[in-house]
Amino acid sequence: MSDKTVSDRSVSDRAAPESGPAASSATAPTGSPRPGGAWALLVSELTVLFRRRRTWALLLALAAVPVLIAVAVRLSSQEPTPGRGPPFLDQVTQNGLFVAVTGLIVSIPLFLPLTVGVVAGDTIAGEAGLGTLRYLLAAPAGRVWLLVVKYIGAAVFCLAATLTVVTAGVLAGLALFPVGPLTLLSGDTISLAESFLRALLIAGYVTVSLLGLSAIGLFFSTLTVVSVGAMAATIVLSVVAQVLDSLPQLDWLHPWLFSHYWLDFADLLRQPIDFTSFGANALLQGGYLLVFGALAYGRFATKDILS
Amino acid sequence: MSRTWLKWMPAVAVPAVIVAGVLAVPLQAGAAVDLPDKTPQDVLELAAGSTVDTFSGTIEQTSELGLPEIPSTGDAATAEFADALDLLTGSHTVRVYQNGPDQSRVQVQDTMTERNLIQNGADLWLYDSADNTAAHTTLPADTGDRSAPGYTPSEMADTFLAEVAPSTEVTLGENTEVAGRTAYELVLTPNTDDTLVGSVSIAVDSETGLPLRVQVEALEAAEPAISVAFTSLSFDAPPADLFVFTAPAGATVTEESLPTKDAAGHPEGETSGVTVTGSGWDAVVSVPAGADAAAMAELTASPLYSQLTDAVDGGRALSATLMSVLITDDGRVFAGSVPVERLQAAAAQE
Repeated sequence: MSDKTVSDRSVSDRAAPESGPAASSATAPTGSPRPGGAWALLVSELTVLFRRRRTWALLLALAAVPVLIAVAVRLSSQEPTPGRGPPFLDQVTQNGLFVAVTGLIVSIPLFLPLTVGVVAGDTIAGEAGLGTLRYLLAAPAGRVWLLVVKYIGAAVFCLAATLTVVTAGVLAGLALFPVGPLTLLSGDTISLAESFLRALLIAGYVTVSLLGLSAIGLFFSTLTVVSVGAMAATIVLSVVAQVLDSLPQLDWLHPWLFSHYWLDFADLLRQPIDFTSFGANALLQGGYLLVFGALAYGRFATKDILS
Repeated sequence: MSRTWLKWMPAVAVPAVIVAGVLAVPLQAGAAVDLPDKTPQDVLELAAGSTVDTFSGTIEQTSELGLPEIPSTGDAATAEFADALDLLTGSHTVRVYQNGPDQSRVQVQDTMTERNLIQNGADLWLYDSADNTAAHTTLPADTGDRSAPGYTPSEMADTFLAEVAPSTEVTLGENTEVAGRTAYELVLTPNTDDTLVGSVSIAVDSETGLPLRVQVEALEAAEPAISVAFTSLSFDAPPADLFVFTAPAGATVTEESLPTKDAAGHPEGETSGVTVTGSGWDAVVSVPAGADAAAMAELTASPLYSQLTDAVDGGRALSATLMSVLITDDGRVFAGSVPVERLQAAAAQE
């Protein structure tokens, strides 16, 4: 396909959106004339994402976090004392399942936002930088659906990243420490089966926590063709949000920061289980998704695609 | 051009809708609550006659005491002091479960940790997940009559009003809504200007008489200095297994005995020499020099001491929104919900 066809498409998309597949997909992404093509785009996006060596490198780095914790605690001669180090670390020797929880706590401030920032920042800018964006847009699915597909890809990566930490933590815990009924924060003890259920719930919580950041990354990614810039901006913003969240002088701002509820997943380790923070977090992340999704749409739908 | 404008529409509309929603919710909550008219006497009777002893709910505590933030890091003594102060001054979410008079569970939720107090009949457990410790004690069999002897709710209301009348004006505020329940609001306003307390308001559930919210307003602060309020409340019986507690494996368990009381009903070893000058809101508590010299020396040596207090005429003073403390140069301590000047006056008189 030549440059001319692409720019023609781009022009016709902007000038006469009432006709053509791009317009119908704008109003109803799945109702485009060739829904098969639209789903094919999603499938190919996910396939490409999980075939990339970089994605696997990121996931491996995440898996290393709980494994390192478990090995360090196992090899260390002294028992971890309560109140020192990350929360739950002292519980690890008694119940290996806490490796997963400690791994998440250690990963949440930096490693998870880092990997999510890389994937979300790369979504649009990466394609633009490689010069493949115009070919994607030439598919009859349209810009909105491409944006949705890219976001779904980033969200699936969030889930994969969180599950990687939890799974690696559980496996490392099983291998190195005794595993049994789990003691909750409230002092109650739950069965092994329920422990796994709670671990999955926590994975769900952390995944939801990262959706807002993914939307921000997607928006930054539409602003530039240099994907490193979008990645860096996303990661920096996640650090800035956490710094602001730790300043007591700004406590009016805290409930509005996307990182505010990141560490509140401990509420899922109480008895009876407390879903208040889960709900508040989901609402907040939904708000970020709507705002930055709308911004990304505004930018991407009006952008001249030159590469 | 107009197409471009149209595509940016959602980016403008979505934040606008969110802002509108955020602004509309408090407006809705502030809508007038219509309840049958009552006098303060009626509401006091309602509260005194409350028989609710089965409920579960979440209580939110916030404090704006105007104290500087104390770092919880540092040496052990400082951390312990900060911990104790945090229970009083910090913000907390507490879940409360009550099933009849004999079963209750209180959970103080902190980030990544939780403190539990569980009463099941005569068994009382305290569990702290931060250091994985549990303390158990057996409550003495309760021989006393639970109901206050000879008082009906209306008599209790009368007595309360008579007690507080000279120093306090008791009025009813606007009807309000707490945790989704309608409530009357009792407002206690001090009659004196010589106190830091602006008013104390108590929201009383219009149906059951259970107090739903207590707020203490300081004179010179916009936010309530102390607010303790239910954010959710249900009168269903909580599940029974919630009150059955066994210390988890691996926890350090200690067996504690309750402090015995001497004949006068005071716990043993209470420091004497504490005097209270005045009564009501502007009362001043004073401790003579040398009452507890060791503790005093430890306190003044602490780096926090100079951080928390300011030098004033005759000693050092700590002034918060609701309370002032004056430690004179000769070691006497004066405290009260009054301005520092009044403490200085009391110190000069003695």
